[in-house]
Amino acid sequence: MLSVDGLTVRADSAELVHQVSFAIAPGERVGLIGESGSGKSLTALSLMGLLPEGVTASGTARLGERDLVGVPESRIKDLRGRELSMVFQEPMTALNPLMRIGAQVAEVMTLHGRSSPEARARALDLLGRVRLPDPEQIFRAYPHQLSGGQRQRVMLAIALANEPRLLICDEPTTALDVTVQKQMLELIAEVAPALLFITHDLAVVASVCERVLVMYGGRVVESGPIREVFTRPRHRYTEGLLAASKLTPRGTRLPTIQGNVPPAGHFPDGCVFRNRCPQATTACEQVPALTGDGHAHACWHPAD
Amino acid sequence: MTLYLLKRLAVLVASTAVAAVVVFAFMGLLPGDPAEIALGVNATPEAVAELRRQFGTDRAPVVQFLDWFGGLLHGDFGTSYVTSSPIGPQISDRLAVTTVLVVGGMIVALLVAVPLGTFAAVHHRNPLGALISAASQIGIAVPAFLAGILLVFVFAVQAQALPSGGYVPIAENPAEWLRGLLLPWLSLGLVQGAVLTRYVRSAVLDVMREDYLRTARAKGRGSTGALWRHGLRNASIPVVTVLGLQLATLLIGAVVVERVFVIPGLGDLLLNGVAGRDLLLVQGVVMVLVAAVLLINFVVDVAYHLLDPRLR
Repeated sequence: MLSVDGLTVRADSAELVHQVSFAIAPGERVGLIGESGSGKSLTALSLMGLLPEGVTASGTARLGERDLVGVPESRIKDLRGRELSMVFQEPMTALNPLMRIGAQVAEVMTLHGRSSPEARARALDLLGRVRLPDPEQIFRAYPHQLSGGQRQRVMLAIALANEPRLLICDEPTTALDVTVQKQMLELIAEVAPALLFITHDLAVVASVCERVLVMYGGRVVESGPIREVFTRPRHRYTEGLLAASKLTPRGTRLPTIQGNVPPAGHFPDGCVFRNRCPQATTACEQVPALTGDGHAHACWHPAD
Repeated sequence: MTLYLLKRLAVLVASTAVAAVVVFAFMGLLPGDPAEIALGVNATPEAVAELRRQFGTDRAPVVQFLDWFGGLLHGDFGTSYVTSSPIGPQISDRLAVTTVLVVGGMIVALLVAVPLGTFAAVHHRNPLGALISAASQIGIAVPAFLAGILLVFVFAVQAQALPSGGYVPIAENPAEWLRGLLLPWLSLGLVQGAVLTRYVRSAVLDVMREDYLRTARAKGRGSTGALWRHGLRNASIPVVTVLGLQLATLLIGAVVVERVFVIPGLGDLLLNGVAGRDLLLVQGVVMVLVAAVLLINFVVDVAYHLLDPRLR
């Protein structure tokens, strides 16, 4: 249903996302993980056609028969909010502070051809469906009267309003309280059609997704079914990520990946991870290809 | 909202009363006794004392203030010591002219600033947007009276299209009234418009970076549609603040522009009053100007509340 092939995102001379390819089948839930600066959000934004000014995408991405990348905004804006929706990281600023919640939910439906009374009635339904207490009151409220978790539910209601084929969630729970996170994740898992779920939190991916793409330095370095990737990571970066997220006995040093993510455009040639990788050799000066069916990895020295 | 309005109204009344005390006290501090001024240097002390009694300036300052302030409350500004005519009607006639001048200037400023500022923000990455920014910078540097003189030179002297000054009441001849006001409106409005353009530009630029604009686009709006539906009202909040401050500035600017264009407004009356040492007249005009500024602030505050639900 969604197929991305050779997606590359650049800002001026720096290449931020390099030749990313993946596909999502109808109903499939795919996680996209990696540290900040690995290009996850840019990948998602380029599918929505919402890249910041001065940042451009090339390659192909198709949703069904429609091209998403490299077409003018006027030709894809009818897809946004209808076939393809997105929930952003920061719920506190994602809603217009001067407009009532109900109007903001109804807007996404009137924009795509529903009549105003119908959209309002359905907006009320949707607020209930994302389990907001007292939907009628929320419908009339302004964003500042809602908590972060409630606002994120409103964003989810907006995203689901037109029953899109694909929902993209970019760190939807990162800004929320831990207690609210779990409810939100369960809700997303329950209502999402097909899902592209971006996060840096491995536990979250494991609970929501079936398949995972690991990104580092603007490349997909490993991909495969959650269970396999998490129990038998092949790429050394994935291995490091998993080690860093494990609970460690009291008194031992927390395992980390040495070094920091370099700034955009300053990743090494060859394997992008080689300057932080404990296994790196001269072989790593060549770019490793993403190989393997099902569980794929791009590494010259994969773990067993 | 009603409670807020009542509270704010109480503040308006209280601050106006305080302003009246300050204005009165300040005028009292000025040297020069109205009776002595009226009678000249050769007057006998008895005649001066007699005139003071007539003017009422022999009474205690507190009594004089209460008398004056009590009069203000029902529109009586007292009688001029110099011309012996009542001040209230003069002020109200002149206030009407100045209001027309200032409001017209503000409308010109808005007509210039909102489209230009928005355009400059949307096109901030290309040369035309930068050109508007640069042009507004020049506009800011030009004082209103200079703009007035330049406009007179171009449109009245060179093109002979509009009168260089004078004022025809609207009841007498609406067309001439309008022709007479065009240049004053432009000279007040263009300069303020240049300042406002920069504020509108930066407000719109700020709003364009907001997440909710991205949300609107994610819903399926184009970037222009998102800006119209979700951006402009948000951008208007900081602009309203500046607008309020500018109205006050315009009121002061009007004093000068009225001189340039020979318009019988409050500024003209004020300058005449000062020149003729008509203290009570000056006091009245200053009071009206101060009250107008307080009223503008009140309107701005109420406008905030109407615009922004977070304040309610």
